[in-house]
Amino acid sequence: MAQFDHLAEKVLRGFASRTSRRSVFSVLGGFLAGAAALPLLPVARGAEANPGSGDPNSGQTAPQESGNPQDPGDRTKCDYWRYCAIDGSLCSCYGGSVNSCPPGVEMSPITWIGTCRNPADQRNYIISYNDCCGGVAWGRCACQNNQGDRPVVRPQTNNEVTWCFGTKSQSYTCTVALILGVAIDQKK
Amino acid sequence: MASLARIGCAAAQTPVIEQTPAPDAPAGVVNAQRAWQNWTLNCRGCHRPDGTGSADTTPSLAGTVAKFLWVPGGREYLGRVPGVATSPLADADLAELVNWMLWRFDREHMPSNFPPFTATEIGRLRTRPLRLEASTIRSELLKKVEESGPP
Repeated sequence: MAQFDHLAEKVLRGFASRTSRRSVFSVLGGFLAGAAALPLLPVARGAEANPGSGDPNSGQTAPQESGNPQDPGDRTKCDYWRYCAIDGSLCSCYGGSVNSCPPGVEMSPITWIGTCRNPADQRNYIISYNDCCGGVAWGRCACQNNQGDRPVVRPQTNNEVTWCFGTKSQSYTCTVALILGVAIDQKK
Repeated sequence: MASLARIGCAAAQTPVIEQTPAPDAPAGVVNAQRAWQNWTLNCRGCHRPDGTGSADTTPSLAGTVAKFLWVPGGREYLGRVPGVATSPLADADLAELVNWMLWRFDREHMPSNFPPFTATEIGRLRTRPLRLEASTIRSELLKKVEESGPP
């Protein structure tokens, strides 16, 4: 036992002679700060953004309302009226919006286009669904409404095609829904 | 049906629309707004808003499309090219759309004596749609255009 005490004393004295109290606090502080930062890493976000978690919004995105009664609804939700013919992930859940891609992601100039009825005025609006390309696709806020979708034998009318054409990257990230105009009303 | 939703570079249904002539409608276009809508829903997604298309997949209309009217076979090509011939639009709407596109994207090259496409003519041409040979025929016609110049 005395030998063990002697060995422990020798090790501790050696350690104390090589290090200062300040350096010990520095190392301990680094561990504490690192532990706090771990949940902020992209790996952790990816794990939370599991597309199979049930709620397509994953509870991570604050509601985005226009504040205009003529454009009602939450743009982070799949039932927002402009998404009637969408097949993809909502850019509103990626740091973008219904009109813009997330930062650093490129909007495809080649699009698929449909019409959706605005519940506020019961008119049909022409909507361009532009894919945003070049970022990471977490599968967040997946939304498939597919109104007017056609079989893939008519690829130009099939919205399962990834429309990342004319962009630097063909890697799909999410989709926006731009209003191009009001459709001419049908006669009954 | 809740809306006229359509997907893609082409659309699938023909809305019944008012027949009021637009004040600036070119020859063969009864309703320029309807023609714009049919362009938007059927063509614009791939040909892009300015008609410039994509070199590898979608030929440019801008500054080019009316030149096909300069040479024999060019008019027939415009009615048989896949994007036109296989469109879901009715013959009358399709004829109006082709007339509108010529005017919108390449009016400077339209022959002064251009007779507008009619529903009957488009209906006849689209019964023989071009397939894989379309790009070859296009190249041959544009070569003739280069050789002949404007009429």
